[in-house]
Amino acid sequence: MKFILSRLGFYLLAFVTAVTINFFLPRMMPGDPIKSFLGRLAMNGGQITPETISALEALYGYSTSTPLWQQFFQYLGSVLAGDWGMSTRFFQPVFEVLGRGMLWTLLLVGTYLIVSYTLTTLLGIYVAWKRGTWTDSVITVGSVVVSSIPSVVMALVMYFIFASNLGWFPTSYAYHPSLDPAFSGEFIGSVAYHLVLPLLCMVALGMGNVMGMRSNMINQLGEDFIVMGWAKGVRDRKVMLHYGARNAILPMITSFAMSVGAIFGGSLIIEIIFNYPGLGQVMFQAMLARDYPLIQGYLLIMTMMVLGANFIADCLLFVLDPRLRTQLD
Amino acid sequence: MEGLMKTLLRNIKQFMLDNPKAFIGIVIVLTVCLLCLLAPLLTEYAASARVGRPHQAPGGDHLLGTTRMGRDVWAQVLYGGRISLMVGFVAGTFVILMAMIVGIASGYFGGLVDNVLSLLTNLVMVIPSLPLMLVLAAFLDQVSPLVIAIIIGATSWPWGARVLRSQTLAIRNRDFVHAAEVMGESKKRMLFAEIMPNMMSILASSFIGTVIYAIMTQATLEFIGLGDPLSVTWGGMLYNADQTSAMRIGAWWEIVAPSVALASVAIGLALINFSIDEISNPKLKAQRIMAKFRREQNKAAKQQAAAPLTNAEQAS
Repeated sequence: MKFILSRLGFYLLAFVTAVTINFFLPRMMPGDPIKSFLGRLAMNGGQITPETISALEALYGYSTSTPLWQQFFQYLGSVLAGDWGMSTRFFQPVFEVLGRGMLWTLLLVGTYLIVSYTLTTLLGIYVAWKRGTWTDSVITVGSVVVSSIPSVVMALVMYFIFASNLGWFPTSYAYHPSLDPAFSGEFIGSVAYHLVLPLLCMVALGMGNVMGMRSNMINQLGEDFIVMGWAKGVRDRKVMLHYGARNAILPMITSFAMSVGAIFGGSLIIEIIFNYPGLGQVMFQAMLARDYPLIQGYLLIMTMMVLGANFIADCLLFVLDPRLRTQLD
Repeated sequence: MEGLMKTLLRNIKQFMLDNPKAFIGIVIVLTVCLLCLLAPLLTEYAASARVGRPHQAPGGDHLLGTTRMGRDVWAQVLYGGRISLMVGFVAGTFVILMAMIVGIASGYFGGLVDNVLSLLTNLVMVIPSLPLMLVLAAFLDQVSPLVIAIIIGATSWPWGARVLRSQTLAIRNRDFVHAAEVMGESKKRMLFAEIMPNMMSILASSFIGTVIYAIMTQATLEFIGLGDPLSVTWGGMLYNADQTSAMRIGAWWEIVAPSVALASVAIGLALINFSIDEISNPKLKAQRIMAKFRREQNKAAKQQAAAPLTNAEQAS
């Protein structure tokens, strides 16, 4: 319990740090969003009145008249209350825009996590078991090579070959635009069909985990309790899965927690290239329009997701590793 | 002198046989680096000058064709590589220095220093770096390659710091460090002469890991359109090609050239990293040892299987 509480405290601190970064960045940077907006307005022949300025200040939650610390607490309060400002690109509350994209990103990243971690863990176990054979060389070197290809390159190549040229997969959207969201076979099929290529791309990029699992497993297989298992005459399969893999999985969960930020980041470029309407796509639009409130909201929501994933990983470790429990009780 | 050369060559050959993956990786990376360094000798064109008709196919005057702006793709790949690789190495150096200072200090000194530095490391680690970079880049508007390198460096050191910290902790309690302490060695000597040499492999692999990450991230940032449009880089080339819908009108070379360059550098570095892991953790390098063992086992099994057969033949 104490362990969980201290983690929660840490997550709160991390979230406040992200909010602080979000707060101070626009105030430190040379490009003042309000001035640049006014500049654009003036260039297009717009009228600038004191009301315009105060309206913009309200829009960006940013003002020169109140002291900085007061602004900070105002900002923190509104963020915690779910008021993340208005998107200047979509003219909707940031929270709503992000919520729409979040659904698809969670679908993509969630499916990716399940598929990729199952696949790479099993492959890693198998390859470690068969170490020194041709299968091992082919799979390990193959996964190193495939996973080190930059995500932009991988996504572009897959997109142009399989979606654009061969036409096997759709080139945009998360489901066919003629369909209405409904709990029907047709709709679910369409969603799955649109998910395949981005998912494949992410799984290929995540093949590097095979290496991690392989080295954990090989380290475990050198331990005495494995030899003991063999000496007792335990069947190979049981030694592999119950003795070796059971322990080798633990570092994988820690590494999952460490890399979850990179995974969400990786989904960004995939979504942009495959025109998948997730958070990455929203972020891309926000970038093009220099929609600062939305860009800042993106950082916050990403931080929240990473913290959430970390918390899940903490709980999983707590359940899976009995040493952790006895240590703390 | 000749003898020295011979030993050197023999050593290289031995290294090649022992670590074929590292060797292939080194060859790829060195080739790309050399090509980029020797760019002025390999192409007569400047990277950002109009030197031909738009979208000329590869071959003839333009080895890899031209872009829509009539720029030579081969020249762009070579000159762009200089900047892309430079960003990778600058960011890698930054990260490794930061990780070393933070990781070793918190592992070695422990106590309050450790608590503060670990908290900082964990904080930077859970705040997702790509979104943070995007936010920074968005507020700075278009950013130059050097700024990209610094942003990447400043947001991606925690991983290395954490690994180095735990390694320092592990080494710190070894007998030889205690012995050095009892002998009254200075702290500086203990850190640099006793502890550091044991972390070379981790330092090397996290340096290479960061270089890969930095080159990839830079390409991503530039592809999104956050790069400086005036400097030619691999990511910028992809961005320009995508913006001018090069693929749709069949100018595949515009996408393929920087893609191949990016992928080969990343794969080469990853192969080197893979070998470093193997060398520093011999358990992973079971390949040849196990293969030899298996061969002998198989031979023995065959002989055994063959023996009764010959007896049976004799009997019949």
